[in-house]
Amino acid sequence: MITEKDTELVRQSLEFAQANGAQKASATLTRSCEDLVATLDSRIDKVTHCEDSSLSLNLFVDGKFGNYSTNDLRPVPVRDFILKAIDNVRMLTRDECRNLPDPERCCKDAVSGYELGLMDKEYDSVTMERRKQTALEASAFPYKEEGFELISEEGEYSDSVYDCYLADTQGLSCIHRETNFDYGVEVTIQDRKGNRYSGYWWESSETLEGFNPRECARKAIAKAAGQIGSRPAKSGKYNMVVDTEVASKMVSPLLKALNGYALQQNCSFLEGSLGKKVLPRGLTILDLPHIKGECCSRLFDSEGVATCESEIISSGEVKQYFLNTYTAAKMGMSPTIESATRPMVAPWPAKGLDRNAILKMCSDGILVTDFNGGNNNGTTGDFSFGVEGYLFKNGKIVRPVSGMLVTGNFLTLWEGLICAGDDARRCMSKLIPTLAFSNVDFSGE
Amino acid sequence: MFEITDNQLNELISLGLSHGGDWCDLYFERTTYQDLILRDSQVSAGGFSLDCGCGIRVLKSDKTGYAYSESLDYNSLSNAAKAASEIADGSRCNGRELCVCTRKAPSRYDQKETWQDSKASNFIPWITGLEQEIRSRDQRVEKVIISLAYSTSEIMMFNSLGEKTSDFRPLGTVMATVLFCKNDRKETVNVSRSFRCGAEMLSESLIRELADQATERLDDRFLAKRPKGGRMSVVMGAGASGILLHEAMGHAFEADFNRKGQSVFSGKMGSRICKEGIDIIDDGTIFGNRGSINFDDEGVPSQKTYMVRDGILCSYLHDRISAGYYGVEPTGNGRRESFRYHPIPRMRCTYMDSGNDGTVQDLISSVRKGVYVDEFSNGQVKIGEGDFTFYVKRGYMIENGKLTFPVKDINIIGNGPQALSQISGVASDLKIDDGNWTCGKEQSVAVSCGTASVLVNNLTVGGE
Repeated sequence: MITEKDTELVRQSLEFAQANGAQKASATLTRSCEDLVATLDSRIDKVTHCEDSSLSLNLFVDGKFGNYSTNDLRPVPVRDFILKAIDNVRMLTRDECRNLPDPERCCKDAVSGYELGLMDKEYDSVTMERRKQTALEASAFPYKEEGFELISEEGEYSDSVYDCYLADTQGLSCIHRETNFDYGVEVTIQDRKGNRYSGYWWESSETLEGFNPRECARKAIAKAAGQIGSRPAKSGKYNMVVDTEVASKMVSPLLKALNGYALQQNCSFLEGSLGKKVLPRGLTILDLPHIKGECCSRLFDSEGVATCESEIISSGEVKQYFLNTYTAAKMGMSPTIESATRPMVAPWPAKGLDRNAILKMCSDGILVTDFNGGNNNGTTGDFSFGVEGYLFKNGKIVRPVSGMLVTGNFLTLWEGLICAGDDARRCMSKLIPTLAFSNVDFSGE
Repeated sequence: MFEITDNQLNELISLGLSHGGDWCDLYFERTTYQDLILRDSQVSAGGFSLDCGCGIRVLKSDKTGYAYSESLDYNSLSNAAKAASEIADGSRCNGRELCVCTRKAPSRYDQKETWQDSKASNFIPWITGLEQEIRSRDQRVEKVIISLAYSTSEIMMFNSLGEKTSDFRPLGTVMATVLFCKNDRKETVNVSRSFRCGAEMLSESLIRELADQATERLDDRFLAKRPKGGRMSVVMGAGASGILLHEAMGHAFEADFNRKGQSVFSGKMGSRICKEGIDIIDDGTIFGNRGSINFDDEGVPSQKTYMVRDGILCSYLHDRISAGYYGVEPTGNGRRESFRYHPIPRMRCTYMDSGNDGTVQDLISSVRKGVYVDEFSNGQVKIGEGDFTFYVKRGYMIENGKLTFPVKDINIIGNGPQALSQISGVASDLKIDDGNWTCGKEQSVAVSCGTASVLVNNLTVGGE
């Protein structure tokens, strides 16, 4: 993967850019490799091998800025590419807000790329035969149960390695390395009446030791079978419990609304919220970017700014916007990191709650296990999503529901927060647990 | 176009088939992409990317082996061919020399003013002109973001039949996002146009057209509200409503989903799925259209494919794998995002043709209670079940045959096969939408869509 020759290419590229008219520049060189084995109904369907590399340059020339990339890393084409890029950036309009980040804010700890423990040394030992074996052993096809039959199972095992080296003309030099082992399976079942239902499950790990795909197919089949006979419930207001698997749908719009580009363009429903308690006291979101061995941990963002553990929202109060060097300068504010790295919704009102405990706490309502289409308006916070899941009464699931819509506004939705669980899946990029809200509008029959 | 000899092409095919594969194809691509972005009334961001490589695919029956190389030196290509050959586990076969047959591309797109020979700086006045035109139309304009993106792709394909096919694909896209403010209320409008053509698309008339669309019926956007939800009739306006057809029905017609038994239309070939007189088409031959291609990415000539004719399901959309499985000719739908991906069945320009049920006004007049929709976004479908949900960005309530008040931010939910069977009217006003449509099935590819105005009975509309 990234070698001394690569880091030398980056350094030479930056020097060449400066020698030919750029006052400042940053460069990111990435290399990745992925092998994939897909199965269809318990037989090998596809084998792929991918190797990628790219060099991306941010150029600052006479107060102007442009971003350029190429996947031809031979020295002569790279020099030609840089000359064309400098010529290209000169035609843009000056923008004094464009700049590299303050070196004092930049990461100095990502020296080897191994600091966060995301690189599994076992990766190199995985053979194609072992990949095929893993994919085939994870399959559950053929499968039949009272009331339904598995008619299609599509599984996909992949492992990958990703290296990234970032440097700039102010002395920044950071490296990040990680491996990933993934398995996902999509199943389609057919009930006695000929109706079809689909289900999906996946597992992911940074290490081979922590990777276990064997239960995926069973879980996907259970998800599909759970929807047999589903129909809409009556329209009305319900408690809504959102399963941890899909709960980021409720949190991502909040994080997006705190992003500098949305705020600077007046397109955020959280405009003017910094330092204000605009969300309920039960909501605390932390950013935990340095958890060793867990996915999405990073020591630096794409500008090279050092990440750190921080509060995003604390007991309902907005503690930070995400402002990169550019949007901060445009807004006349202090820069932060450009986005949340590893956001986590803290448990509330107690630790240790899982989905079953939350269903009991809520007593009656609709458990949402999947979203199907819909949208949210980032400027107003209004949303409307298609949902499926289960009607529950007295804390117990009564029957599956589908063909329903949930409609509202994120600020009023969060005002009705009943609880946040403690059951987030560690393999997901955002640590969002099962969430419960009161008084939510559902449309159905 | 690419520095590789016919002998080397032959050798790579032999290497790909060296473990007993049935089919091997090579896909060489060199793409240049440039964008320019106006924000806060300045074109102060932009850049370009250069991407080049070759994908090598080997098929053994309906199984796929795939690898690619970003370097076009022969050793790297050989390694990719060997990696792809691993899908077959038979004994080594001796290659045979292919007779190279070069095929000429038809001309479904043209560049009068080529992107590759134009200086990007020439386009800045056009972008600022568009912003000024939009701002001049309405005092409620607060922010405008405009992006102009254009790319050119040189493509060369070679396969184990000896067929050598070349194509040159231009694509130009302009998008504008406009934020309007009135008192405390904000409305965002997105408009776009995308064509397979050269820089001649950046005309004065396109500026007026985009500004018209961004500001049309603006008062209604500020007055729009969420209606009371329930089951009701839906009239889908001509043009962009075709995205519902793409998502809710088109994907279920793609042959890979049917071959794998996942589609709700599996096993329904030859069946009536909607009323007589309805034709649903996927067309890759419309001149200059964003979804048009001279050849698909397996070297199969593009075509106009009827999926539904007179209400009968008559064809899936095929790549070579599914065509082999079903024993039919491929339909030119084997497409890919780039050399990094192997081709799979994908749509091109998907639309429902004009019907014989009068005008859109005739359809609206026949509805006692329902909604008329002319702007959808964020559709999603579950292929197995056929269930779909679409977000309505703009529409009107229909009461007793008349449009009564503007509605927005609601969802329409239904089931593809059921919705098709509940179509009771199709107007004679087919319109192809030239917006920036991109389909995201595993990989992103440029598509377009359209439809005549359609009346569907009994869909669930989610509101207050």
